[in-house]
Amino acid sequence: MSDNENTQATPDRDLIESVWAEARDLIKRLEGSTVQRFAVAAGDYKIEIERGSPPAAQGMPGTAPHPPPPHLSPSGPVATGAGPGMSIAPGARMASGVFTIGDLEADNRVPVLAPLVGTFYSAAQPGAKPFVEVGSSVEPGQAVCIVEAMKMMNEVAAGEGGKVAEILVENGEWVEFEQVLMYLEPADD
Amino acid sequence: MFEKVLIANRGEIALRVARACRELGIKSVAIYSTADAESAVVRFADEAVHVGPHHPGKSYLHIPNVIGAAQKTGADAIHPGYGFLSEDPFFAEICSDNGITFIGPRPDVMEKVGDKAIARDLMQKAGLPLLPGTIEPVQTAEEAQEIADGIGYPVIIKAVAGGGGRGMNVVRRAEDLVRLYQTTRATAQAVFKDSAVYIERYLEAPRHTEVQLVCDSHGKGVYFFERDCSVQRRHQKLIEEAPSIHLTDEQRRDIGERAVAGALAVGYTGAGTMEFLLDHQGNLSFMEMNARIQVEHPVSEMVTSVDLIQEQIRVAAGEPLSVSQEDIVLRGHAIECRVNAEDPDRDFAPAAGRLDVYVPPGGPWTRVDSHCYPGWNIAPFYDSLIATLIVWAPTRLEAIERMDRALSEFQIEGRGVKTTIPFHRRVLADEQFRSGDVTTDFVEHFLAAEALAAT
Repeated sequence: MSDNENTQATPDRDLIESVWAEARDLIKRLEGSTVQRFAVAAGDYKIEIERGSPPAAQGMPGTAPHPPPPHLSPSGPVATGAGPGMSIAPGARMASGVFTIGDLEADNRVPVLAPLVGTFYSAAQPGAKPFVEVGSSVEPGQAVCIVEAMKMMNEVAAGEGGKVAEILVENGEWVEFEQVLMYLEPADD
Repeated sequence: MFEKVLIANRGEIALRVARACRELGIKSVAIYSTADAESAVVRFADEAVHVGPHHPGKSYLHIPNVIGAAQKTGADAIHPGYGFLSEDPFFAEICSDNGITFIGPRPDVMEKVGDKAIARDLMQKAGLPLLPGTIEPVQTAEEAQEIADGIGYPVIIKAVAGGGGRGMNVVRRAEDLVRLYQTTRATAQAVFKDSAVYIERYLEAPRHTEVQLVCDSHGKGVYFFERDCSVQRRHQKLIEEAPSIHLTDEQRRDIGERAVAGALAVGYTGAGTMEFLLDHQGNLSFMEMNARIQVEHPVSEMVTSVDLIQEQIRVAAGEPLSVSQEDIVLRGHAIECRVNAEDPDRDFAPAAGRLDVYVPPGGPWTRVDSHCYPGWNIAPFYDSLIATLIVWAPTRLEAIERMDRALSEFQIEGRGVKTTIPFHRRVLADEQFRSGDVTTDFVEHFLAAEALAAT
């Protein structure tokens, strides 16, 4: 994905360091789980982790072709540096198209994705109270926002219950298919 | 002129349109499904919008997402390419409802020419030659029998709503007529939800001849001469060339003028193709009109030196045609081979996969329109077209030699990937093909003869 961006930027060293620290943390959490492939996107950056050796034909169509990581241990993933199994890619379009989640048990942030191309609205009507704000608690299936396409209001529901951790798009902003709209932090129990 | 054009398509045609936009100084917007995130047009276009998963119904054919992508990026026009939404009057209407120009004919015109019965009626009135047969759908079996006996056998019964070789049956003997009439109606009802059929004379081995035209919104139209697309298999074209060597200059001008007159008579605007069958006595008969740009448009570009996509965009923007009929001069001969990811040795079964090696040919008068590059994955859920390879030469035989040379350079390799290149080279070496005596049953006979020789 990184090679098809029209605007390339070089991530700065500090940012790489902090993303990498987060990635190490994530990899640790994946130990013992059945997660094969894992990707998170936040703002302009993405972390993609692939474990095991998937057959050549496997993998989500459209995701960047990453060769399987060369450093594997039978007991789980081992952080060995930014090998080909992991990529940190800058780019404005990163939030969409590459988002694949194998299993979310290891991460406590759940993305809410745009189900279609349209305009994001945080409230049911202009001036009305937003469906949710950062910190709001949501029930599974609760409407968290609207994506409007061709005058059709499509409510977007939370897949599971929890707290709204972050909202990534502005009210009235156009969103693409599967763009991450917000993150939820599932309830702990 | 447009500021920004969204291309509602994928593959080679999306890239072809984006290239035309760039040369015209228009910004282009690509749309892509999840499977096409790494596609050439996404890289090339000025912007790209993810519109859905790989399933075409949820991405390239998903009208709200396509319109949404145009609104998101502020595109003032949509080029539909071919296939997908290109001949959907409903989509064209929605574009206009949303203040976006659809690059193609008006929705009502598109609907008329898309209905075979209406198109036959309109084109006959406009002075185009038709095969003997009915204009109005046939209502009863008795009527069908009477009409068929009047035309003389063989006849063909066709579904009004049919297309792509489906919903038609050839009747060779009078006693089979009623049975096949009923079968065709039943199939038409089941497949196209419309049981209406018409009957016309069946030509056993015609040549497929089609006239390229472009009409502007100022009542002017021009033709870009004809293409011969007789090398086809199950109604899928494999090799196309321009011009047809079977028309005299006088015939060529006459059919071109009539095609333009027919298009203008129905209020057609944009690029379109009139399909004709050419019989062995040199008679052309109107078959249908395609209200879109076609895969094989480059051969017409090569012999007339006009960029048809640019012309199509110009007239959609309301500008007059940039060329007059006198400017369009036929020069030399062009051939196109469709290089598909198919295995000719296994009945042209799809043979898709990742392209580990992709080295297109080059050299003089050799054009490759393709979205492929090393590492690109030909996905099984879209069409199998890898590239259209087009060559030009002063004469047909020189064009054949040049095409064979270009095909010999074309390297495509990948696990599970097979291409139609070896098939094309065998056809180019065939004496009958080289003589130009090719009819629509050529491929069938060619393959049968090859199979026989192999045993």
